[in-house]
Amino acid sequence: MAVEASRRPIGQIATVSLWSRFYGFGSVYAKTIRDSRLAFIIVAGLLGGIMLAGCMAFGTAYSTPASRLDLQNVIDNIPPVLKGLYNNPVHVETLGGSLSWKYGPFFGLIAGLWSITALSGTLASEARRGSLDMVAAAPFGKRRIAVEKLAAHLTGMIGAMAFLAILTWAGSAAFGTLPGDAVPIQGAVGFAVWVGLIGLVSGSVAWALAPFVGRASAAGVAGAVMFGGYVVSGYQESIPALRLPADLTWFHWTAGDLPLAGQYDWLSLVPVALIAAALFAVGVVAFDRRDLGSSSAIPVPAMPGALLGVRGPTGRSFGERLPMALAWGIGLALYAALIGASSRSFADELAKSPDTARLFASLFKGYDITTGGGFLQLLFAYMGYLIAGLAAATLVSGWASDENGRRLELLLASPLGRARWAISGGIGVFGAIAVMTVVAMLGVAIGVASAGSDVATPVAGTLILGLYAAAAAGVGFAVGGLFRNTVAGEVTAVLVIATFLVDFLAPALNLPDWVHQLALSSHLGQTMVGNWDPAGIAACAVLAVGGLLLGAWGMTRRDVD
Amino acid sequence: MTAVIRTDKLTKFYGSHRGIVEVDVDVQKGEVFGFLGPNGAGKTTTIRLLLDLIRPTSGKAFVFDIESSADPAAIHRRLGYLPGEFALYDRLTGGQTLEYFGNLRGGVDRAYQARLIERFDLDPSRRFREYSKGNKQKVGLVAALQHKPELLLLDEPTAGLDPLVQQTFFSLLREAVADGGTVFLSSHILSEVERSCDRVAIIREGRLVRVDRVDALRDLAHHQVELRFSGEPPADEFKKLAGVSDIEVEDHLLRLRVFGPITPVVQAAARLGVTDFLSREPSLEETFLAQYGREAAEVK
Repeated sequence: MAVEASRRPIGQIATVSLWSRFYGFGSVYAKTIRDSRLAFIIVAGLLGGIMLAGCMAFGTAYSTPASRLDLQNVIDNIPPVLKGLYNNPVHVETLGGSLSWKYGPFFGLIAGLWSITALSGTLASEARRGSLDMVAAAPFGKRRIAVEKLAAHLTGMIGAMAFLAILTWAGSAAFGTLPGDAVPIQGAVGFAVWVGLIGLVSGSVAWALAPFVGRASAAGVAGAVMFGGYVVSGYQESIPALRLPADLTWFHWTAGDLPLAGQYDWLSLVPVALIAAALFAVGVVAFDRRDLGSSSAIPVPAMPGALLGVRGPTGRSFGERLPMALAWGIGLALYAALIGASSRSFADELAKSPDTARLFASLFKGYDITTGGGFLQLLFAYMGYLIAGLAAATLVSGWASDENGRRLELLLASPLGRARWAISGGIGVFGAIAVMTVVAMLGVAIGVASAGSDVATPVAGTLILGLYAAAAAGVGFAVGGLFRNTVAGEVTAVLVIATFLVDFLAPALNLPDWVHQLALSSHLGQTMVGNWDPAGIAACAVLAVGGLLLGAWGMTRRDVD
Repeated sequence: MTAVIRTDKLTKFYGSHRGIVEVDVDVQKGEVFGFLGPNGAGKTTTIRLLLDLIRPTSGKAFVFDIESSADPAAIHRRLGYLPGEFALYDRLTGGQTLEYFGNLRGGVDRAYQARLIERFDLDPSRRFREYSKGNKQKVGLVAALQHKPELLLLDEPTAGLDPLVQQTFFSLLREAVADGGTVFLSSHILSEVERSCDRVAIIREGRLVRVDRVDALRDLAHHQVELRFSGEPPADEFKKLAGVSDIEVEDHLLRLRVFGPITPVVQAAARLGVTDFLSREPSLEETFLAQYGREAAEVK
């Protein structure tokens, strides 16, 4: 029997407005733009803010030709080992040249972090969650979904870089105090193009890998490629063994492109752009051809069963956080080992130049930077606070994921009370922080021991990183318990970044001392050289323990999400 | 009988959004109590209030005669719970997950746990993230059942289970009740409630609209009747009868709905020379739809 399809009368079909095809819910592209607006605002604001603050700080601190000459002398005398984390010093007597030297790479790293986070997750995590299935069921191919997602990120990056270029140009014109300080439009745009390309090529690694290995592994590999390339390229001059791998990094290829300093190497950007384009294409094709949501995670050794912690909530929290804590600890340890091991080389270089040695002695009063501990205090401690604090934020996020991931209902349906859950989980997090700290201490020990310096003092001083991380975690526990666990990790991260920026920028911007005092890290002494500040240590302990108790109390009073 | 669950004008608002409003239910020991309603009606809110996961805006809930927020741990010690949506630990295997939840209760009977795993045909050696939705649900069910709780609070428990596993699940429910247990089962699948429950409460837009025995609901239900006549159906004769509604005529066929006793319709049909008579006993689902409107029931 033939079946005749009947046509149902239908109402008027609403058309998709042009605007909503670009922003909103009119297309995959528009939805992705909408979803990433907060990240865009944060990244553009951060990059623009750092640039403006840098312009302001430089203009204020170096307002006379004599001060610029001093600065140039200082930078010229810095040995290669200390220059590793900075750009090539070109025209450092100008505002643009100085900013390019000191902060240039950090702009690229921030843009890269954004790209890696966004491009590793935009498809892979959504596919894993299952929401992409519904999008893919729409009447267009997977390839178009991938292209639209990618285009949305490119749009965001272009927007952020345009904002950066404008602020670079305007900031240098507004705060420059001597002729040559104003960065021309071409320089501002050139710098933004470099930052954007470094960001995109880093993200393209994650984009290409994500369909194969999943979000976490792709982001991890891309992050390692980016940070590894940055370190290898920076230190290849002082460590000959790094010269060959440095040739493979885009940081090294573009080392001569310093638009803020008036030095252009446009051609060096071409291979970077080509690699990014090729990896973007790989990612699109891979997403199109592979099964939706299927990925093969990079195999990592499984945790021993005894460490999984199935005996109780404290052990479970510790076991769940342990891999993350080990990862952060290993990162800190590698960083500390590199800096610690370089201290001997730095001391040798400094010994050749008594004038520079005297200059450093006057700049860094209170400790000897030629010792392993002193060198770590100079180059590791402050960045260490930031890294340890961010580690705490991720561990707090893990603690909060019991509620955010809807496990808490099942847990609390057992005789486990809310306060006990919060405190047990918090103790697990503190245990993970302790593991991270011990691993970092190992790195410190290996680094300074290889340089022949005193090991005990900096190793003991590394404890402060753990204490600071515990304090940051305490704030996260309090926020999660009292208010919402969905924001506990984020608030912790924002607090840590704000603390870092205040500690870093307040002296540079000559802000009132009370502003600088707001940063907890400014109260922790110089523990790598044995100078401990009891007030800061007490504050950390109070924040850690008090925050956890406050969070536990808050959990007993509010609804579980 | 003893009330295992009792609520007194239990009300929950999320800010200005309605959760549930003045819900009064009592669940007796040894019964399977169905909590039925469309999505968003307030079923999960009610369960979470019973567990003290959220706190009432007003009213009270008692479980085992203990006020839910007074000593939740004492209540939790005696119940098993399966949430409607849950995620567990991706890195743990199913077996490790069950071990953990057993440990949180001070340990469970390993032999019974193993029997449950076997009956659900669950592979406990796989990591949780590798499980299908149905297998994740099985892990949740075993976690809820493995300590032989006195009360089972199950929020849409059959979601993702295939029919065979559903059979296993329902037979386990019957065994739990036979052992003196009590079950509070929320669902929006009427056939599931019809099949397994002694009593049912229907909740809609946060308010209880009916609590009754499943049988009683069915008795009150309508009958869908089709009458065939040799000539034009005498529709007007049936319109006069009490409880008759929704009369439709199609050629020689008369369709109508009868609420209450069907005898007057049978007698009238015989008197008016009916040639064929078809009466269908309605399912609970159809009862629910007829009573509370199709828009209120998003049934599978």
